[in-house]
Amino acid sequence: MTSPLTLDFVMETMKGSGTAEQVRSNRIRITTTPKRVRDAITTSRELLACERLITISAADNGRTLELIYHLTGPHRTVISIAAELPRDAPEIPTVSDILPPAGIYERQIHDLFGIVFAGHPDLKRIILGEDWPEHEYPLRKDWKPGPDTFYGGIREERI
Amino acid sequence: MAAPAASLSQRLVNWARQKSPWITIFNSGGCNACDIEIIACLMPRFDVERFGILSKGSPRHADILIVTGPVTLKQAPRLRRVWEQIPEPKYVIAMGACGADGGVFHGLYHVMQRVEDVIPVDVYVAGCPPRPDEIINAVVTCLNLMSEDAAHGGKEWRQKKRSEFPGGMIPSVEAML
Amino acid sequence: MPEVIVPIGPQHPALKEPVNFRVIADGEKIVRLELDISYTHRGIEKAAEQRTFIRALPLLERVCGICSHSHSTAFAKGVEELMQLTIPPRAQYIRTIIGELERMHSHLLWLGVAAHEIGFNTLFMWTWRDREAVQDTLEEMSGNRVHYGMNEVGGVRRDLTPSQVNAALQRLPNLEERITKYVDMVQNQETMLLRFRGIGKLTKEEVLKYGAVGPTARASGVDYDIRMDDPYLVYADVPWNVVTDTSGDVYGRTRVRIGELAESLKIVRSCLEHLPEGPIRVNPPKTAPKGEILSRYEAPRGELVHFIRTNGTDRVERVDIRTPTLANWTSVAACLVNQNLADIPVIVAAIDPCLSCTSRITIVDKGDGNTGIVTWDELRRRSRLRDRRQEGA
Repeated sequence: MTSPLTLDFVMETMKGSGTAEQVRSNRIRITTTPKRVRDAITTSRELLACERLITISAADNGRTLELIYHLTGPHRTVISIAAELPRDAPEIPTVSDILPPAGIYERQIHDLFGIVFAGHPDLKRIILGEDWPEHEYPLRKDWKPGPDTFYGGIREERI
Repeated sequence: MAAPAASLSQRLVNWARQKSPWITIFNSGGCNACDIEIIACLMPRFDVERFGILSKGSPRHADILIVTGPVTLKQAPRLRRVWEQIPEPKYVIAMGACGADGGVFHGLYHVMQRVEDVIPVDVYVAGCPPRPDEIINAVVTCLNLMSEDAAHGGKEWRQKKRSEFPGGMIPSVEAML
Repeated sequence: MPEVIVPIGPQHPALKEPVNFRVIADGEKIVRLELDISYTHRGIEKAAEQRTFIRALPLLERVCGICSHSHSTAFAKGVEELMQLTIPPRAQYIRTIIGELERMHSHLLWLGVAAHEIGFNTLFMWTWRDREAVQDTLEEMSGNRVHYGMNEVGGVRRDLTPSQVNAALQRLPNLEERITKYVDMVQNQETMLLRFRGIGKLTKEEVLKYGAVGPTARASGVDYDIRMDDPYLVYADVPWNVVTDTSGDVYGRTRVRIGELAESLKIVRSCLEHLPEGPIRVNPPKTAPKGEILSRYEAPRGELVHFIRTNGTDRVERVDIRTPTLANWTSVAACLVNQNLADIPVIVAAIDPCLSCTSRITIVDKGDGNTGIVTWDELRRRSRLRDRRQEGA
């Protein structure tokens, strides 16, 4: 375990990628744009010693879709890199080549929110059933199950 | 109406089925607590193998199908297919709160609402998860049902026609909001 | 390329949950692994947004039947931190006791299941019988063997009476003796557990690259353990050690889990003996202020992460759950490459998968394009045959 990262050090290092704030004693949040996410992650891997991806969280705040990448390293500080995407065309470059575990998380977020990760090698269904219709993203706030759509299960009569 | 007296070979088969039922377990997308309680039944503490109850992999060798978990949309057709593979007479035990009505998952977007929507159920076990004692009780209830059905010559004596229910459907429990 | 679906029965104890992964093989060697986890997707995250905190807790508890307390504690402590609520020390201790008992029962379960994979059924029966002592303790304390329902936002729902504490303390010496026996068994040269050596090896760099967590990572010398890195509950006050190993294979993971069993027992004993007096809950406010938190918890399988966002109402706006098994799947895929098909049962069981499984393995033979049905039992038989051949050679 090395010593935790300070806010000043992180702000200095990530100057080109976005603004940083200390949201908790061991977590620093960096707000950036979709285009700069890859650079932010590469910088934090190389200069902030963030060797591990914890998870990628996705949320719908009503106006935009948000993606937050959480990384950590031997300093045990969590660096959260956040980006907002527009609802009608949510697209962001993939990071699964820099961080292999991101592959699974991105597939899951694509199924549930419809965010397209450009450059992902294999963005197919992972968490919703095979009969789930395309373009229905259940975790978006404005999604409601359609009364006549078939989402899966059995169509036949009960026995 | 009593069934005609069974032949000797039929009575032997009935006796063997009741004395040593083979079960197959199907997890239709649950949290696994029920599956672990079933495996705990086979362990030295509860030890159902002394009753001749064996857990078999293939549905084609089973007498009883135990369904755990709320039936997710993905598992529903597979559950139906597994049920169809079991030779008659077959019995289904739906475990836990999930088996009865979806349990805590009632109304979620990726589950069917009930096991009964997919396959007919003979025995329900209450609990979340049911204790191994309760599971053994359910299997014994199923065995009693087997012997009663054998005496009546089949299951028809206890099956209601769908027309007997108001509106033709079994009334469902309203989701509590 | 013709493909084969291998239905692996749900009564198989190692994989109790339905999952589908496709193994693309070249003869006996595995080339690639693909994953489909939709069998158990129920839509819990969406439902949690529509329920108040009190109703969301039983739902989140039932995400998983083995680590249910982990999910409910992670959620409760996240919401409490957003509300800036400090819960009384007695509640912290009770949560820790239940959490560590859960870790013990989970590791004993895993040990039995892993032993079953290599045909060591005696150990399967022994560990599950010992596990019953832990289950009895949990049942006395909480009323249920699984899904304890101890947590609420603001503390715990049930108190521990002195007689419960004494009964639990009395069960511990016997368990300790059994665990010492398992430690000896793992180090003993004659044991069947040696079959785990060399299988599913992951180096330290690979663990970090693929993002593995929990005992899978700690077996390769990576000492990430959330109880130490980001202390919560009473882990900063109770003496305990992070257990690591350097071998990085399935054998190392076995040693780490058995070591953790011993550590958990120490923590439970220490907490039971030093249980502070006082209230077990505080009254929480009805709503949680606007905020966002990453709540991390060390579940038996690894790091469990709840990303919670609240917006000033009495429900969460978003709870994003990342389970430890999802984090470990990439490393399974990585360490299966260039291994034999026969190693699949052991390697998959070694990450202690917590996915409901009717697992189906699709085996695609690159070489001759043969299709065939191979069941899990067949794979396990092949694995044991291969081991026997190696022993005889």
